[in-house]
Amino acid sequence: MTELFVLAEHRRGELRDVTFEMLTKGRELIARADVDLTAVLLGHNVKELAIRLADQVKKVLVVDDARLKDFNEVAYQKVLTHLISERKPVLILIGHTSFGIDLAPSLATKLNVPLATDCIDINFEEKKPIVVRQVYGGKVNIKASLRTSESYIVTLRPATIEAKEVKPIGGEIIEVASPLKEEPTTKRFIEYFEPPAGEVDITAADVLVSVGRGIKDADSMPIVEKLAEALGGAVACSRPIVDKGWLSADRQVGTSGKTVKPKLYLAVGISGAFQHVSGMKNSELVIAINRDAKAPIFRAADFGVVEDLFKVVPILTDRVLQEKKSSK
Amino acid sequence: MEIIVCVKHVPETAEAEIAIDSSGKGIKTEDLVFDINEWDDYAVEEAVLIKEKLGGRVTIVTVGSEDADKTLRKCLAKGADRAIRLTDKAFDGSDAYATAKILYGVIKDLPFDLILTGTQAGDDGYAQVGVILAGFLGIPHATMVKKIELMEGFTRVNRELEGGLEQVMEVGTPALLAVQTGINEPRYVSIMGIRKARQKELKVLGLNDLGLKEEEVGESGSWITVEEMFIPPVEKEAEILVGGLDAISSKIVETLRARGLI
Amino acid sequence: MAMEELAAIKKLDFNMCMQCGKCTGSCPVSPKSKLNPRRFMLETAYLISPLTMHPPLNIQEKGELWDCTTCSTCSYRCPREVKPMDVLIGLRSLLVEAGNVPSTLGDALEGVYKYGNPWGLSRSKRQEWTQDLKVKYASEEEKIDLLYFVGCAASYDSRAQVVARAIVKNLNALSIDFSILGNKETCCGNEIISLGEKGLFEEIAGNNLALFDRYGVQKIVTTSPHCFHAFKSRYGRELAVKHYTQYFADLIDEEKIRFSGKIGKVVTYQDPCFLGKHNDIYDEPRKIIESIPGLRFEELGRSGKRSVCCEGGGGRMWYDIPGERLAEDRVREALDVGAEIIVVACPFCLLTFDDAIKTSGNEERIQVKDIMELVAETL
Repeated sequence: MTELFVLAEHRRGELRDVTFEMLTKGRELIARADVDLTAVLLGHNVKELAIRLADQVKKVLVVDDARLKDFNEVAYQKVLTHLISERKPVLILIGHTSFGIDLAPSLATKLNVPLATDCIDINFEEKKPIVVRQVYGGKVNIKASLRTSESYIVTLRPATIEAKEVKPIGGEIIEVASPLKEEPTTKRFIEYFEPPAGEVDITAADVLVSVGRGIKDADSMPIVEKLAEALGGAVACSRPIVDKGWLSADRQVGTSGKTVKPKLYLAVGISGAFQHVSGMKNSELVIAINRDAKAPIFRAADFGVVEDLFKVVPILTDRVLQEKKSSK
Repeated sequence: MEIIVCVKHVPETAEAEIAIDSSGKGIKTEDLVFDINEWDDYAVEEAVLIKEKLGGRVTIVTVGSEDADKTLRKCLAKGADRAIRLTDKAFDGSDAYATAKILYGVIKDLPFDLILTGTQAGDDGYAQVGVILAGFLGIPHATMVKKIELMEGFTRVNRELEGGLEQVMEVGTPALLAVQTGINEPRYVSIMGIRKARQKELKVLGLNDLGLKEEEVGESGSWITVEEMFIPPVEKEAEILVGGLDAISSKIVETLRARGLI
Repeated sequence: MAMEELAAIKKLDFNMCMQCGKCTGSCPVSPKSKLNPRRFMLETAYLISPLTMHPPLNIQEKGELWDCTTCSTCSYRCPREVKPMDVLIGLRSLLVEAGNVPSTLGDALEGVYKYGNPWGLSRSKRQEWTQDLKVKYASEEEKIDLLYFVGCAASYDSRAQVVARAIVKNLNALSIDFSILGNKETCCGNEIISLGEKGLFEEIAGNNLALFDRYGVQKIVTTSPHCFHAFKSRYGRELAVKHYTQYFADLIDEEKIRFSGKIGKVVTYQDPCFLGKHNDIYDEPRKIIESIPGLRFEELGRSGKRSVCCEGGGGRMWYDIPGERLAEDRVREALDVGAEIIVVACPFCLLTFDDAIKTSGNEERIQVKDIMELVAETL
């Protein structure tokens, strides 16, 4: 019986959420086909992770090798090429993460297997995968088919599928001997680097006023700072603000920044690219201010204000201060 | 240093109204402004910074129509030395895989110590071309690169990971590095500079020049075929507050008070 | 350094400069900035002469060049008619050509290049401010006798849009036939040339002139003194352009305006640099203000030729320097003369004062309004 591979992603001894999201999708896909779901775990001393995965999936392939301890595309690609050539899975799911972006195209090229990246959904139609992807910054979706092949590789965008866990099933853990012969020389993992933290921990704040590209100008930052101050919250931001150097990286919300779950998330001038939304979508209350009524942020918000932020924010700040004064 | 940078001329859609075209597989682009893909702008800047420090030559390569010359001239004005545009009717409909083949067609014969690309493009967002190209060339790569230090025979790079963490890797050179935004601050190029860049070499090559067959590129040479393009269905839509700034502010304050947030 | 830019600077007459320092002494930003026009005059003179000075001027390190608001007080006060402001702009173009531009200014320039406005906002939204107002858009069928050139700030900024709407209401109330270019309108380029981006300015000016020709534009009236100045003095062609203050002052002279309401407030007036110091237009705005029934007009302590820049020009809308804004000081001056409204005639003044009133905590005591708003309230 053919298999559907889910490549488990882990970092510093922990499985990443995207692994369980892919397993959820994988389970859904095999329910309609005669295919086995198999988790593939590459690493070193990963027994605990294998056991955790075996709770969720019938088969876990484990390749244990010191050279697989930290993610290295060269080593991963070699091992996966070997496994895929041997077992010919119909589909390999990989997370569209920093690791997946480095690995999937390299693997697909090596195996000459069609690849669709950054998919938000996947289905099989007549034994061929049909994927849904977002393009143009999330404003448009495409439905696309892949060239007919024995195997396919699809990378799944993190945080688009809600991970559902099943009751522990105690699946089988199969150890596969590492096919790696020598140390990868063209690419070496050196270390993890944590950019220095600032004085504010946005993940701990109950209220976040988050600012995006719409602010246009570093000099306008005080208007958001004042609103945050009035609400007793902290200022966070989307990626462009950090790229421009207007706020430090530890204030960034999104896949490449922090994931936050405040009681109130006020998005000011943020268009709402998925990279940002996936970092704040579990906030309890989301209010978005943006002058573009079609901005994707309104799909992640409870309340929306379609207005110029420079007009709304100062008035809102005043109103909040008044309210606080009168309730004292 | 011989540096090659692959760039893409893309429509800017962040502020624009997007509509699907009559084929149902693309968007209407008449009213859109095209410019260099944001990620590629950082890649070009990085190449020029390296050249300014170590000397050498920067070659820009793109796959696109004549309109992409705007982007190429901008790159030349930023400090690149020459540009190559790969244009052919047969290239239409190419996905990332076919695009990488086209780029490989010309780059395989060029000298290089380093190839830079953006990690992804703002239009189709595949994030594949650079890595596939590296695969064809048989050179190592790194994506999501936020910092580049060049050493003797290798480069030390910081890759961006999720959650604000970075991964430091050493990659043997020649290598292909796909950069992430924020790695530098792309410089402004003046219109005068762009005009002057007209004197720099801009070569146009097609299918035959690259020794490619028609079926290897375009839709037939692609992994992916777009079946349909559509505006995403609205799953959840925010309740849009209306009634003027005062009324809106009052409603927000009311909501916050009801939830004990003020 | 590029020879062309140097040649352009060489054309300016440096020999007349006697290093008296009036330019620096009168520069409104020099107290809070490193900007020293006199020193730039000296160093530039050396730069273009065979003589050398130690250390020689390294323009690329002179970020303070971006601090100039192009208010032209230095040029205005110079006893030898040397034009320090033009030299500073000339030096800016050396920075521009080297790509050495602060990122927010670079974004503003790119915005004009790509979208026709320095905020980089969509062209299709340029005419949204008109909403339900009655306006005629330029069309191939009819030549435009009077073009109302709205300008970028009044097209896109929500506060300044109020002024554009007031102008349209006023023109309509007086049954004056006019057209606007709508989404075809593009930045006038005044701030672009002020930022030293000559190539972009030439391109914009060429396109705008072609647009005026295409629609057979006879006369132009502008919201902004900046657009007015660009059309009048920087396009290299004689255009029949008036700032709206001139246009409405003429209407008052011709007794075509009858006010029905009144404004029972004490008001003062900020002379926009591009009307006053650049173009000697001091009387027309005052004529309109003083003809509005009910108000009491008080001059600011420093007004007319001695007026102080609000800090909105020369690209400073997109680039701030630390320290208190000049407009804040002007708000205090206005309060000192007992004013309840600071009247302005420039969208940049409107926006900088709007900010300054808030940052100085005087929202309860004073407002800023454009002359056209007052006229719309009383017509």
